This record gives sequence, C-alpha cells and structure tokens, in this order.
Amino acid sequence: MIALVLASALAAAAPAQAGTDPVFAEANAAFLGGDYGRATALYQALLAEGAASPELETNLAAALQRQGKRGRAALHLERALHLDPTDEDARIDLAELRKGNVDRLEGEADASSGEALLRVLGPLPGRAAAVALAALWTLAWVAVGLRRWAPFALGKVPLGSIAAALFSGSALTALVALGSAAGARMALRRAVVVAPSAAAREGPDARSGSPFEVHEGTVVRIDDRQSGFARVRLANGLSGWVDQGAIEPVVPPSWGGLPP
Amino acid sequence: MISRLDQMAPRGIRGWGARAAARALIAALAFALPLRPAGAAADEPEVAASVDRDELALDETLTLSLVVTTSSRGDAGELQPPALRDFDVVSRSTSEQVSFAFGSNAPNFRRTAVTTLQLTPHRAGALVIEPARLAYHGQTYSTAQIAVRVLPAGRAAKGRAKPPPSDPYAAAPGSDRDPSPRGFEDPDPPRVGSRDLMLRGTVDNPRPFAGQQVTYSLWLLARVNVSGIDKLQLPRMDGFWAEEIESPQQLVGEARVVDGVPVQAYLLRRRALFPLRPGKLPIDAAQVDVLTGMGLLFARSSVHRAAQPLELDVQPLPSPRPPGFDDGNVGQWSLSASVDPPRVSAGQPVTFRLVLSGRGNLHDVQMPALPQLSSVRAYDATVSDKPSLEDGRAGGTRTVEQLLVPERMGDLELPSLALPVFDPTAREYKTLRTPALHVAVGAAGPSGEASLEGGAAASGQNLLASGGFRPIRLRLARVDISTPPWTSAWFWSVLLGAPLALGLVASGRRALSLLARDPEQRRVRGARGLARKRLREAESLLGREGPAGAGFHAAVAHALSGYLSDGQGLSPAGLTRDELAAALSTRGHRKAVVDALFGLLDECDRARFAPGARERKSQQALLQRADALLVALDRGRKGAA
Repeated sequence: MIALVLASALAAAAPAQAGTDPVFAEANAAFLGGDYGRATALYQALLAEGAASPELETNLAAALQRQGKRGRAALHLERALHLDPTDEDARIDLAELRKGNVDRLEGEADASSGEALLRVLGPLPGRAAAVALAALWTLAWVAVGLRRWAPFALGKVPLGSIAAALFSGSALTALVALGSAAGARMALRRAVVVAPSAAAREGPDARSGSPFEVHEGTVVRIDDRQSGFARVRLANGLSGWVDQGAIEPVVPPSWGGLPP
Repeated sequence: MISRLDQMAPRGIRGWGARAAARALIAALAFALPLRPAGAAADEPEVAASVDRDELALDETLTLSLVVTTSSRGDAGELQPPALRDFDVVSRSTSEQVSFAFGSNAPNFRRTAVTTLQLTPHRAGALVIEPARLAYHGQTYSTAQIAVRVLPAGRAAKGRAKPPPSDPYAAAPGSDRDPSPRGFEDPDPPRVGSRDLMLRGTVDNPRPFAGQQVTYSLWLLARVNVSGIDKLQLPRMDGFWAEEIESPQQLVGEARVVDGVPVQAYLLRRRALFPLRPGKLPIDAAQVDVLTGMGLLFARSSVHRAAQPLELDVQPLPSPRPPGFDDGNVGQWSLSASVDPPRVSAGQPVTFRLVLSGRGNLHDVQMPALPQLSSVRAYDATVSDKPSLEDGRAGGTRTVEQLLVPERMGDLELPSLALPVFDPTAREYKTLRTPALHVAVGAAGPSGEASLEGGAAASGQNLLASGGFRPIRLRLARVDISTPPWTSAWFWSVLLGAPLALGLVASGRRALSLLARDPEQRRVRGARGLARKRLREAESLLGREGPAGAGFHAAVAHALSGYLSDGQGLSPAGLTRDELAAALSTRGHRKAVVDALFGLLDECDRARFAPGARERKSQQALLQRADALLVALDRGRKGAA
C-alpha cells in the first residue's frame, strides 16, 4: 500500500510529456541556420507565453552564448538546472561557460558549502514527497483509529504494525520534503550577474565606494534589497551592494520567485 | 724688428719656466745694447680694447682683446678687465711680447701684453662692454666702451667677424697651447658659461615610419672639467615604446668639434624609440645636474642643464595595407615554423613551434595563430620573448609554442601561416610565410610507439574530448512550475486534519458513553471520591479547631456514613449494627473490615460526645485508617460486582 501511495505521488509530480511545438521548432531551425538573434527572440517568446522547460532554457542559453551574452546564457542554464536538477547537458554547458568567467573567486572551494548543499537538495523529489507525506500520514491515523475502536473490523490484520510503518514512511517523506523546501528557499535567493560588469558598493547608493566589481556569469546570493540595489554575497563570502538591473534571479517571479 | 720671446705663456704652473727664460733673454739684451734714456712719449702706456665682431647671436662667442703696451723697463702696470655684467667669460688667455727699435741714438724697448677673453652673452639686445682700466705709475688709463648687438639664439649674425687685432700668437691649429687655462692657480676662476656645458638630445631619424626604430641619444658637451652627474631626468616618451640601448655608468668623453668649438662629448643615455602612431610626436627636454671641477681638492659646483626639446614627424604606414596586417608588425623580420616530433601516436602530444626573429619592436608584433583543426585538441599557446640589441638596433626572437594532441590517425597537416610585415628600410610590405607541416599520426603500440601501418583504416583511435558545448535539444518537455504542496493550505489541512479527526472521534465517543451512563451507577462510582473529599475537609478542620475539635470527628463519621450510603446503598442511620453488619457481609465485605468500620464509627461518636484533649498524631492516624477503610470497602464492592 505504501508503495502504491508513493507511486501515485510520483506520477502526480512527473513532468508533462515531451512534444513538439511549432515555435520551438522554428527557433531551433533558426539556431541551426546560424540566425541566433531570431532563435533567441523565438525562445523568449515561448518563455513569455509561460512555457517552462529545461530544453527551452538550454537552447536559449546556447543561442545567447553564441552571441557573446555569457551572463544571460549562464542565467538560463541555471534556470534549466532549477527546473531539472538532473539535466546533464545544462550542467556541462554551464561548467563550460564558467571557464570563461572573468571572476575567479579565491577561497570559493572553502566557502561553497551552500552550493554543494543546493546540489544535494535540488534534485530531491519534494513535490512527490509532500504528496506521499499527506497520504501516508492520513492513512497512519486511520490505522490508529481502527486499532482503537474496531480492532477486528479487518479480521486479523496487524493494524498496529501497519500504523507504525505508515508513521515511519511519513517521517521519511517529511524529511525529503523538508530538504526540498530548504533547497527551494536557497534557490529563491540565487541570482546571476547579467551585466558585463557591475560595481559592488559598500552601501545601497551610487555614491558609495566600490571595493570590487563582479562580472557577467557570476552566481551571487541576494541577501537584501533596498533603493534599487541588492546586497549580494559571492560564494567566497565577499559581499557588496550592486545595481538590481545588473543581476537576474535564477527563479523568476512567474515561477514563484521573489518579486522584483 | 720683433722678436717673439714669450709665446702665449699660460698663467699656470707650466708658464713659469717660459716666463723666466724670456726675462733672462730680455735682461741679456739690455746689457748687451747701449741704453738710451727713454723719452717722455716712450714712457706713456697704451691700452686698447677691441672685439672680433660687433653683432653676434646669443649662442655664439665673442672675442675681446685687451692690448697693453708699456715700456719694457719698470713694471707693466695693473690691468683691470671690464666688469662684463652681461657676459660669461668662457676662456681667458694672455700673451706678452717685448720689442725694441733703434731710434735716434738709442734702442727703444716696448712690452706688449695681450689679454684675450672669450665671451658668451647672457641675453639678447644691445649690450655694452665696459671700459678696461690700467693702473700705471699712479695713473689710470681706460679703454673706450664697446657696444655689441646680441641677436636671439639661432639667428645668424650679420656683422662680420673682425680679425683679432693684436694677438699674432693665437693658437694655430694643432697648437699644444691650453686654450682654457683655468682652475689651478686662478683665485677667481671664470664661472661655467652656457657654452661650456651643453646637453644635447639627438635622434638618428627625424621622420620615421610609425613602428620604426628611432635612436635617441643624450649627449653632454663640455669645455670644462666634468667630474660627475648628480641627477639625470630623462624626458617622458609619450607616444613611443622605448627600449634602453646604452646607459653608461661612467663618464667617458670623446673629443668632438661642435659648431667649430672642440668639446668633450659624454654619452649619457641612448634609447630605441618606436613611435606608436603617426603625426608630430614631441620629445620633451631632458635635464641634468652636472658636477664640474676637479673633485674634492678644487672648486666643485653643480650646474643644471636642459637639452633642447625635439619633435619627430612620424609618417603613417603606406596604403593600401595587405589583408591581415597589424600596425605593430614593422621591422625586418623572418618567420619559421616546426613541429616536434613529426611522428606520433593518436592521443600523444606534439609541439608546434613558431619563431619570429629580426629587428623591430618585438613587444608589439602580432603573431599568426593556427586555425582550429578538426580532430586535434589544441592547448593554449605559450609565448616567450628574447629581446636583443645588435649595432644599436632593437630586435629579438619571439617563440610561440603550442601543444597539439591529434585525436585521429592519419596525416595531420598544420597549414601554412602568413604574417604581413612592413619593412621601413625597403619601404614596402612583405608577407612572411611558413611551409605547411605534416605530422604522421598512428595508432599507439603496446609500448606507446606510434604505429602507422594500416593507416587510418586500421583500428583507429579516436580520442574525443569531453569539453565543449552540447548541441541544442529538439524536443520540448514542459515542466509544471506550480507552487509546491507545502505552500498550499490543503497540504497542512490534511496533515493536521487526520489526528484532529481522530481526536474528535475519540472525544465524541467519550461524550456519548458519559451521556448513556445510569445516574445511580454514576453516584456509586463517585462515592469514594466524595468520601475522600470529606476526609480532606476533616483534615482542614483539624488544623483550625485544635486537638479537642468535635467537628473533625463528625466530618470523618460523615465521610464514612456517606460512603456507605452512596457507595454501598446502605443507610447507617436507619439500621442497627447487626443489620448493617449483615448487609455488608452480604455485599462481600470481610468481617475484619466491618469490625474496623464499626470501631472507627464508635471512636468518632465517643469523641463527638465526650470531647477531651487528644493527640494530633492519633487524629492523623484516624484519618489514615478511614482512608484505608474506604479503599477496602470499595475493593469489596467491586469484587462483589
């Protein structure tokens, strides 16, 4: 029964079936013909319609990368990985793209536990786990009730053991759902520098001093927003205020991301 | 008859010997010849001043000659040169001669002293050389004031040079006479004039092409002793790429003639300049502080000098330019390429080496690069420069090495590379080309040796790199981006609803069972609790009334009789002791319990009706016995039920 519940939950959380879209096909044809500008426009039109797809994001990233827009290409690859953390193509393209990043973060390896944690938590099946949790939890309490008031309603079924197993399954799925929720919360604060370069300032003011610059393609974490500036933190702990226009959140508001 | 006795004897240590010999000769002649008393006119001294020109440029020199003629007998008088406020004395020399002539009846001896001063003017304009004065036998004789017109530097003077008037013994070419006898015994040496010490910057080519080398040299021209350089400030070379050619650590002079004046020329610095753009490019003035004099023992001073600024007229490179030409590729260059080893197994690296050598600005040269080759993994090239100087011309060798890893068997061709350059000497563009190179790529043998047998058709290795971007995907899979369940109300409703529903069911069942229960039964079940409550009230009375309180015992008796009434359904007030004992026995209570009950009731009655002092401890024991009795009675009731 537990397996049945989990299977139905996973089926409920599975992505929609893959298919072809005429606009997507036209965009791909433009890309393969070398017309990257038109391909970009068509991919973005699909995004504006509300389409969310790792394939769409990686193809758009490829078109942007061919046009030298490395920051935006990195952004869409991050979005592809947000939609499907197991997308190997997106992961490899992103690693390839990052080789050309201007910013090399000293001490990144020591301070990148957040990124590593996100890599672990991101692929967790949070939605399926949440659905399964709701089902197992409800069934567990039903079993408790039966055992209390109608112990012989189902014949000699060991209702106590069944209830214990259901509670154990609930705890397991709750852990998975909690991990996934924590990963989602972390993802909401991630952003990518899309401007060629942006001055990181000491305060949310254009007149503040700028101890360093960040460049396109660098992933930052948004800690705060104020007066058109965002306080960002780099993977190595470096922090500063940058113009909000210079960065784009990985999770856009239309996907449930933070409002701009 | 004129005899030359003292030829330009300098006023130095070396002059003493010549002067003594001349005086001895004069004395011998005076004794040998009959003397005639000199007349009054013969004793009158003559003093005259003259210049070699009355108009000169500011950067030219003027020769002032002061001629004093006196009688050879007696002293020569004291000549006081002009003040010369507007001039620098570049050099000073004196000559002296004695002549005699046979007059009416006696020889007439005359002494002529010529003082020659080389002057350089301080400023342009109408200048004046003040009169020179001669003190002779208590009288003062003056020369006339001389007017001189000085033109700005570089302007050729129209005034023609006059021949020196009265120094027939001026140094001839090749003469060993020291023209500048200064410094040793002269207590007031002439100060260093602008013509004595000059800083000159020179370039070998004032109209170079952009990118062509120009050699800039900085010279110190001196007619005075130079003991060292205190401070040298080179000009900023904006618009040039500069390479040091020569930077002497010691001053080494070489004799030169500059504007007809012999000087010592010291090279201070020599640089190769490569103009970076066409047009007028100025070179600012260099400046130097020079230490003059002869070191610690003699006068030593620091003199500041600045070189003249220069300007180069840099020509643009001729048009049209060949395709692929870079502006930095100017010079005489040669290009070669090689690959090592020429045979390799697939997956093993070869080194492609491109070497450019020759003359020109090595730092600005742009080398050609290999195009992207299929089936070859190319690593970043390393560039090493080896600059060199040859005959004052900058150049060197640039070597580009690139590691290539062939990933497919067969013949790998590294294409010919072309480098267009401009040769400024030949004034033409040339295209340097390397030959196409070939590498035989074979399969790796057991020992790692390349095996070319079978060629590409053999079991070819095809090493594919893992890097690079992935191709685009052609199928679109849409993903549900709805909010996760934990952000929805239904999720939390379900989680809380299940235990809540179970709790509600349990509470409902409990309420229903309570509602369905018999009031008599409920009273019986509550009898013990009520009795205990009355015992607690009795205990509280014990604290308030003291040891002789009758209320305490009444409350205990009430608790017991109340329990019998509620819990056992017996009314002690309406029954005799025997009837009560029989009823309790019928309800299953043991005789000991019944006896204990009666004993306790009797004790309470005695205390109520015959009050007296009692110990608190015994009253507490009474309470405990009553409580134990209630437990025993309740247990007996439940057992009977």
